[in-house]
Amino acid sequence: MDQKIKNIQQKLLKELSLTKNITQLETLSVNYLGRKGAVNQLFQSLSSKEKAVHGKDLNQLKNNIESSIKESKTLLLSVKSKKKLDITIPGIKPPEGHLHLLTQAIEEVEDIFKSLGFVRRRYPEVETDWYYAEGLNIPKDHPARDDQETFYINQNTVLTAHTSNGQLREMERVKTPPIKMINIGKTYRRQASNTHSPMFHQFEGLMVDKGINITHLIGVSNYFAKAYFGPDREIRLRPHHFQFTEPSFEVDINCSVCKGKGKKNNQACTVCKAGWLELGGAGMVHPQVLKNGGLDPKQYSGFAFGWGIERIIMMKHQVTNNLRNLYLSDLRFLTQF
Amino acid sequence: MDIKLSHKLLSQFLETKATPKRIASSLSLCGPTVDRLHKIPGDTIYDIEVITNRIDSVSAFGIAREAISILPQFGYRAKLLNNPYQLTKKDLGALPKKPPVKVIIKNQSLVPRFTCIALKNIVVKPSPKATQAILKNSGLRPLNNIIDISNELTLKYGQPVHVFDLDKIGDRTMIVRASKPGEKILTLDKKTLTLKGGDIVIEDGQGNLIDLCGIMGGGLSHIDKNTKNVLLFVQNYEPKQIRKTSLYTQQRSLASQIFEKSPDKEMVLPVLIRGVDLIKTRASGTISSNLIDIYPQPFKPHFVKLSLKWLNQIVGITFKKQLVINILKDLGFQVTSTPDMLTCQVPSWRSNDIQIKEDLVEEITRIHGYFRLPSVLPTSMLENTTTEDILATESSLKHQLLNLSFTEIYNLSLVSKRLFNQAKISINPSLKLRNPLSKDHEYLRRSLVPSLLQNLKDNQNHQKKPLYLFELANTYLPRGERDLPEENPTLVMATSQISFRQHKGLVESLLNNLKIDNLKFKPFKKDSLTWDTAASALIYSGSKYLGTIGKINPQVSNNFELKDQVFVTNLNVSTISQIKGSTYQAHPLPKYPPVIEDITLNTNLKIGDLITKINKTSKLITQVIYQDSYNNKHTFKLYFSHPEKSLTQKQVNQIKTNILKII
Repeated sequence: MDQKIKNIQQKLLKELSLTKNITQLETLSVNYLGRKGAVNQLFQSLSSKEKAVHGKDLNQLKNNIESSIKESKTLLLSVKSKKKLDITIPGIKPPEGHLHLLTQAIEEVEDIFKSLGFVRRRYPEVETDWYYAEGLNIPKDHPARDDQETFYINQNTVLTAHTSNGQLREMERVKTPPIKMINIGKTYRRQASNTHSPMFHQFEGLMVDKGINITHLIGVSNYFAKAYFGPDREIRLRPHHFQFTEPSFEVDINCSVCKGKGKKNNQACTVCKAGWLELGGAGMVHPQVLKNGGLDPKQYSGFAFGWGIERIIMMKHQVTNNLRNLYLSDLRFLTQF
Repeated sequence: MDIKLSHKLLSQFLETKATPKRIASSLSLCGPTVDRLHKIPGDTIYDIEVITNRIDSVSAFGIAREAISILPQFGYRAKLLNNPYQLTKKDLGALPKKPPVKVIIKNQSLVPRFTCIALKNIVVKPSPKATQAILKNSGLRPLNNIIDISNELTLKYGQPVHVFDLDKIGDRTMIVRASKPGEKILTLDKKTLTLKGGDIVIEDGQGNLIDLCGIMGGGLSHIDKNTKNVLLFVQNYEPKQIRKTSLYTQQRSLASQIFEKSPDKEMVLPVLIRGVDLIKTRASGTISSNLIDIYPQPFKPHFVKLSLKWLNQIVGITFKKQLVINILKDLGFQVTSTPDMLTCQVPSWRSNDIQIKEDLVEEITRIHGYFRLPSVLPTSMLENTTTEDILATESSLKHQLLNLSFTEIYNLSLVSKRLFNQAKISINPSLKLRNPLSKDHEYLRRSLVPSLLQNLKDNQNHQKKPLYLFELANTYLPRGERDLPEENPTLVMATSQISFRQHKGLVESLLNNLKIDNLKFKPFKKDSLTWDTAASALIYSGSKYLGTIGKINPQVSNNFELKDQVFVTNLNVSTISQIKGSTYQAHPLPKYPPVIEDITLNTNLKIGDLITKINKTSKLITQVIYQDSYNNKHTFKLYFSHPEKSLTQKQVNQIKTNILKII
C-alpha cells in the first residue's frame, strides 16, 4: 500500500516538474484528484476493511497532492509574461448611440420638476383656437395676436406657438386642484430668420391650488435654475404682459459668465444683458382663464410659465449663435453629445 | 412695440438726478424694459419695449410718468414736468367764431373724439437743427417744420397727429364715414390702395378721399412748400377697425399701431393745444378758426376695489398700507380707503388696462419691485404622480435605442410635397398650412420615413461606418374638418451598411426589451412603391399590427441617391405602449444541465416556419438557435432539457428522429 502511495507521489512530482502552464496543471489536478483520478481509483480498489485501515493515509496523500499543486500554481502565476503588450494601442470601442441634446434636456427638465412633485403631460400640438388663444383671454381681433406668429391649418385650427394650450386642458382634466403640471412639447412659430427655426420646444409649468402666490413662482423658478444651471444661479422677475396671466413677468437668470455683474475684465459681458439673461415668460393665472378652465378664482390661484427648451440648452452650454444647429441631422454634430 | 426715446425729449417731462443708466435699469426692473442704451453726441437714446396693454407709455411723457413712480423706489427724487393734462380749451385764448371746416360724421362710433383747428400765415421751412436731431435719433426722417411737429407730438405724447393743407380740402368740407368696398385712395407715399369697405375714411366736399384715418394721410391734401393754411387734426378712432385696415393694407404705421390699442381720449385736446403752440413758434402761424371738439361720450372714470388682505395673500408678503396708497397715487390713481378695502379711481390713461383687482396687484407689486420678493417653495402635493404611459414608453424606447447604438435625430415636422414625392408616399391625406413660410415647410408630415431617408443621404458621404439613425416623433393625420387631427407617436429606425438579419435583430431586441413577444413577420399583401416588397414585411405581435420593416424600393433609393443597402423600420409607438409588458417575471434556473446538439435539416420550408415546427415537436426542446444555411440545408443548435431530471442520449435521439420525420 505504502508503495502505491509513494508511486503516485513520485509520478506527481515528475509530472509537476514538466507542467508549463495553468491549463496543464488543471488537467493534472483532475487526473489525480478528480472523480476518476488516481487517488479515488486507489481508494475504490480497496475492500471496506482496507479502507478503514488506509483511509487516513489516503487522506494524507490527497492533502499532500493538493498542496503540491497549489504550490506549483503559485509558482506558475508568478512567472511574468515575456511578451509585453503594447498598452498604447487604441482600444476597440463598441458602436455608440447618442440621444439628441433636446431629448437630454427634456429628460432633465422632467426630472427636476418631478422632484418638485410636478407630473409631465402631453397636449395637442395642433389645437383649436379656443385652447390656444380665445380661452386664454386673447380675443380674435386682439393686437396681442400679432406677437404670436401663428401657423394656421384653418380659421379655427392652429399649430401651437406656445405650450399654454395645456393649461385649460389640464384644468379640465383634473377638475379639483391641486394641479402641478409640466407640459413639454413641440411648438411652431411663423418666423423666417437665420437663427430661428419654425419649430422648437417649450415646457409649460402650471400650478393651481388654494393660497398659491407670487413667491411660490419665484421659489419654483429658483429651484429649477439651481437644478438645471447650477447652485450659484438665481432668478428675478421683471414686469411683462401676457393676456392669460395677471400679473405677468419676464423671468431673468443671472449670467454665469460675468456672475451677474454685466462686466468681465472691465468690458461689457458678451453673453448677457447687464448681468442677466432672459429665461422666458411667467405669471399668475388670469382669473378669466381659471374660469374658462372650470375653476373658481375666488377659491383658487395659480402660476404658470412657458420656457424654451432650445433656449435653456443654449444658455447652459453658452451657445449663443444659432438655434437652427439643433435641427441639423449631421452626425458629426449629433455624435458630439 | 419698440420705441426709441431721446433722453433730451424725456428730460422735457422728467426732472431727476438719476443718470440715463440708472433710469434704464430702474425702469427695466419695475416698468417698461429698456433693451439698450445708445450714447450719441449730445444725447442718449433708450431702446424701449412697450408692452401691448401699456400704450400710455409709448411716449416721452408716458415714460416720464412711469419714472416718477419708479425712481423713488431706488432712492432718486423725480418730478413730472409739463404735464399736458392740465391744459384746457382756455389755453388757446380767444378764438374766431368761424369753424375751420364743415364736418359731417356719418358714423360717430368710428370716431369717439374728433378735434381740429385751422391756422393761417404758415411758413413751411426746415425745422430747427435740434428738432431734426431728436427726430433722426428717434428713427424718424425730418421733412419740414409742419410734418415734423406732428411727428414730434407723437413722440412726446403718444398721440398721432395729422396736418392737412386746408386749401386742398374740397369745399372745406370733411365727411367722416366708412369706406365702400372697392373704393380707391391715394396715400401720402403715392400708393393707391383699394379698400375692402368699412375702413374709416374722410371724403372732402368734392367727393375725393383725402384721408385713410389712423393709418396714413391722403396724397391729395398733404403739406408742401407752398402751404399757407393748415388744419391741425387730432383724433381718436375705433381701435378694431384701425387694426383690421392696417393689417390687410399692410400699413403698420406708428399711428395705426397706437390707434389700434385705444390711446387715451383725454389726451386729444391737450395735444392739439401743444400743436398750436408749436406751429405758432416754428411756422409763425396764427389761429384762424374756432375749435371743433366732437366728443359725444366724454370720459367717465371707473373704480376698482382692492382688499389689502387679499393683496397680501396673492403676493405672499405683507405690505404697509401707506406704501400701497403712495404707489397708486404716484401712478395717477385716486384712492379712498377703509381699514382693509381700497377704492381706486382709475386714471383716464389706464382705463382700458386696469379693470380687475389683479391689475392693481400688478401695479403695486411691480413698482415695489418683484425682485424684492422672497423665494418660497409651495407645499401642495399630488396624490399620484405616475407618468403617462405613452411618455414612459417613448422614454424607454429611446434609451433602448441608445443601447443598440442608434443616434437620435430631430427633423422638422413641417415638410415639402417634393420630399414625399421622392419617397413615393402620397402627401395626402395630410394637414396643409394655410400660411406656410415656404414650399419647403408646407405640410405636417404623415410619415417620418422620407425625413429619415434624407438623413441617410445627408450623412452617407462623410460617414464610412454603418449608420444607425432613429427619430421618434408625432405624425399627423387629418380627421373631419371640425376635428383635431390624430397625432400619432411614431418611431422610424434607419440603417445602412448592415444586413437584413442585423437590422431585424435590432428591431427584435428593441421590442423584446419592452417585453413584446410573439413577434410575427408577414409578407406584404399589396404592392408598395416605397418598400421593396420582396425584402420587406409587416410586423405583428400576435394579431396586433406594429409596423413595417424592410428594404426601400430601389427607385426610392435612387431618388434619394442612397449608395448603400438601406433598411428601414416604421413602428406605431401607441400600439407598442398598449401591449408592452410592464413587470419582469423571474424564472428559476434549470436544475439539470441541458443537452446541446446540432441538427441539419434539408427542406424547402422557410426558416421561421421551420423553427416553429421544431419547437412544437417536443416540450423538452427549450431553445432553437439558427446557425447557418447551405442551399436548402439549415443547421440549428438545439437545447434539450427536462425540469426534473437529466435527459439520456437515447431520449434526445428520439426527439431528433421525430423532427426529421416532421420535415
